[in-house]
Amino acid sequence: MMPSAHYQRDRCVTGITGLDEILRGGIPYGSTVLVAGTCGSGKTTLCMEFLTNGARNGEACAHFSATEPSVKLLENVRQFDFFDMRMVDQGLINVFDMDVLFSWLGMTKSTFELSDIDAMVKSITDIVNTIGVTRLVIDSVTTLCYKIPSEQLIRDFLFKLGKALATLGCTALLVSEITSSGAKAYWSSFGVEEAILDGIIVLGDVERMGHLLRFVQVVKMRGTSHARAKYALELTPKGVMLTPMLKWGAVND
Amino acid sequence: MIELDFGIAQQLAEEASPSSAIQVRVGTSNSELVIASMLQPLITEFGMRGVYICASRSATEVIQTMERVGIDTTGIQFIDSVSSGFIGGTEVPYPNIRFVDSPIMLESIMLQTLYHLGEKSDTGNFVILDSVNALSIYNEERMLAEYLHTFINTFRAREVLTGIINVPDQTPPGVLANLDLYCTDLIDRGQVVIH
Amino acid sequence: MATTANFDSDDEEFYGEMASIGSPKFDTILTGSPLNNGSVPRGFTMLAIGNQGAGMDLFAKQFAAVAEDSENTILVSTAESQAEILSLYKRYDWPTDIMVRTMGEEYNQNVLERDLQASKFRLEGFSMEDIQRLAQTRFVENEVHDYLTDLTSQMTSLPQYFRAAVDNLDFFFARNDTSRVISMLRMIQAHTQLQRGVLLLNVSSDMVDKSVERQLYAICDIVMEFEVGMLGTDFETRMVIRKFRNGPENLKAISFRVTKDEAITPETVDRIA
Repeated sequence: MMPSAHYQRDRCVTGITGLDEILRGGIPYGSTVLVAGTCGSGKTTLCMEFLTNGARNGEACAHFSATEPSVKLLENVRQFDFFDMRMVDQGLINVFDMDVLFSWLGMTKSTFELSDIDAMVKSITDIVNTIGVTRLVIDSVTTLCYKIPSEQLIRDFLFKLGKALATLGCTALLVSEITSSGAKAYWSSFGVEEAILDGIIVLGDVERMGHLLRFVQVVKMRGTSHARAKYALELTPKGVMLTPMLKWGAVND
Repeated sequence: MIELDFGIAQQLAEEASPSSAIQVRVGTSNSELVIASMLQPLITEFGMRGVYICASRSATEVIQTMERVGIDTTGIQFIDSVSSGFIGGTEVPYPNIRFVDSPIMLESIMLQTLYHLGEKSDTGNFVILDSVNALSIYNEERMLAEYLHTFINTFRAREVLTGIINVPDQTPPGVLANLDLYCTDLIDRGQVVIH
Repeated sequence: MATTANFDSDDEEFYGEMASIGSPKFDTILTGSPLNNGSVPRGFTMLAIGNQGAGMDLFAKQFAAVAEDSENTILVSTAESQAEILSLYKRYDWPTDIMVRTMGEEYNQNVLERDLQASKFRLEGFSMEDIQRLAQTRFVENEVHDYLTDLTSQMTSLPQYFRAAVDNLDFFFARNDTSRVISMLRMIQAHTQLQRGVLLLNVSSDMVDKSVERQLYAICDIVMEFEVGMLGTDFETRMVIRKFRNGPENLKAISFRVTKDEAITPETVDRIA
């Protein structure tokens, strides 16, 4: 479905060099986007840059860390020039550890029940609503979904979360860890995320003569046209930089 | 002691503009002279800062050569795609060298260059690609032709002066044809190939 | 943990070689007599095992109430509160300045408090202050406290000639691996022996299986089984001493009753059935 040429949805400008061009201006406001990538592909850096650019504009941002402790996350992201620790100190970027949130909600079992999922959605929504968060990252949603025992519950969780965030006008990136970014890859670990969410941005590696080149590709984004080619991605001190991948480059995945 | 070719400086002053894409043809024995003769006016007379992409020789060798000629290279950022190819090659005393794993990673070279160029300076920026011939060892002709096309257009759009070094009689024909087509200027100190 | 201990001669004279079991009449029935300060050799660990309602918890309090030195006496309770224990001690006019540790009460407070807080967050959500605190909290607070290690640490830090009662071990068996509990009890027993303390451990007979019971029997120097049964319309309570290290003459069954003045006291009059 292509958007009408006369109507343009408001955009959440990511500020990431090249990505806003690919998305023809940015991510449509209130979208929940899956950022799916193999290990080391740059998902966390891209998401942190997304938040930092929002904070620089005075937006309230939130990062929910489920894969690595927030202490380690902040220590790793400090090496980048785009990041300013003062944004965390001033409350523009709020970093939450999911295990702390779970302990506060009494979610101590190894699998979540429906009540736990509802509690998790409600608490995230509460935080977004109370602080006025307009940019949110969950890293990674895969880690959370491993504790949800059925596909149906995962679907429910993502749908409820996406709906709540959209209602509050919050643009969210949900990180998904995948094992392969090739032609036969699923963009999600559980096979359901990609259908529920508004967008899919894939990060991965292409192999060229024994070397791995990082790439990013926007596979889906509701509400906007977008480029669908692979773009080479480089992690520089300034952050993520993109350039079109050479068409005649080697395509071994 | 190398005596610089002042004709190159004159040609740059009279013909080049900030968005020029210059094909710099060199021979097998005069490449250092030509490059030095090009860098000297860019840095000293025009006050430009820039990026030097090393695919033929290591950045350390280029720096030492330029210093012997009396050219200050501290204002140049080097992107070295050669030294990672041998153990110990990246242990160098110069802070203005960045390493790319291989001349195959053309997009990485492009992005690193864009990163180090940063914001446009008042006196202008330049990029020297040394050399097409070295890149053609690692990259197929079609891909290299596509890359040069993108390379030239990217930096022209950003008003960055580019100098693309090549030894014409050792450059693949398809690549040479692309250079002839897309470059705006020519500094010819190489052997001319007539097909 | 020290492997040898030196004892002060004044302490040796004051404490003697024997300690009271908690009641002079019980001491008299057993080998010792009040003149010898008691019937339990210093350094002994005693086990009281039986069903709920057989009087073991009162026996433990009574044992602790001897308190030759209140500062060196501790009662660890896992089922009662400080207020309940204090009330009972006042009723029998026992010393109220001994150390009392109510681990059960502490556990309930911590767990219940955490559960209550979680319920509040689930129902009412987070306030701004909660969110700010959550954003600054980097580690999970209040991991479940290891009360077994706490008990062991407390017991093994008691000085010479201590008197201690643990009522009861059910709490620890329910929350820890059995082998770990046994291992900790061995450490406590070794410390008791070395420091010439006296220690009473209570456990419910339906809490442990036979193999664990055997291990407890092996660790302890004195084993007392508490029994309660019906005799006509009355309850009959008795203590059966199943084991008394180096005192086989003390293996006997002693009927007892609870009085207002003396708490648990042996019956000296035979019932006529």
